[in-house]
Amino acid sequence: MEFTNKIINSTEEIFNTMVFMPISAGKPLSEETEVLDCHVSSMIGLSGDFTSMLSIHCPGKVGMGITGEMLGMDVEEVDDDVKDTLGEIANMVAGGLKESFASEDIRLELSIPTTVTGKSYTVSSPTKSNRVIVPFDLESGRFFVEIKYSLN
Amino acid sequence: MGKTVLIVDDSNTMRKIVSRSLRQAGIEFDEILEAGDGQEALAVLADNSVDVVLSDINMPNMNGLEFLKAKSEDDAIAGIPVVMISTETGADIINEAKSYGAKGAIKKPFTPDLINETLGPLL
Repeated sequence: MEFTNKIINSTEEIFNTMVFMPISAGKPLSEETEVLDCHVSSMIGLSGDFTSMLSIHCPGKVGMGITGEMLGMDVEEVDDDVKDTLGEIANMVAGGLKESFASEDIRLELSIPTTVTGKSYTVSSPTKSNRVIVPFDLESGRFFVEIKYSLN
Repeated sequence: MGKTVLIVDDSNTMRKIVSRSLRQAGIEFDEILEAGDGQEALAVLADNSVDVVLSDINMPNMNGLEFLKAKSEDDAIAGIPVVMISTETGADIINEAKSYGAKGAIKKPFTPDLINETLGPLL
């Protein structure tokens, strides 16, 4: 099942259309070995013909930068606007994946996004889980779009 | 008399973005009202004169389709046009929304131009 290009296409469309920040996708990270040092994560479930969780992870500074661009205002801390914005981006990335899979006759439904914040927490994955992580580089830093999935 | 729009979305950020996109699209409203879900939207419509509604679909408590259905069953507000703004723009969902009276759908992510094209003819 192909995830990487779907994640890249969906994420780039959002940043080109609504965030107006240039981004470039990096090489997908290998599973099992990566620990992401991030402060904000938004997650949304997709269920149906397969079950998955899509997440966006980023340092607080990157989340504040994205939020400021989307809302057209200065953002000085990881507040509710930042959490809400990243939740919306996760929702839109997942919506893009849902639409792309629908064209392959694979049906999915979205849950409501959830955002968590913390200080230098890590995100890790059990060995041999089905997982794809795509890094995206912005001028202010790097964020990650991750999907973990299990086939029904 | 000026025009009033109601933006329905559980995301405070998305409500701000839609408001900003309306301004960027050159669509001026005298008043922009907001609601966080379908239940709140019905309460706002009961107390205010609204010209058009922009509503998300995927919301807690009462989602966009449930809101449309409830609105269509209330003669006092059934005629107010609603445009859906959502990541959920599959044919099945949009056909269901239209069966409850939705006048159009805008897929997230969207541009101000797309807002203008969809909303302009309704105003």
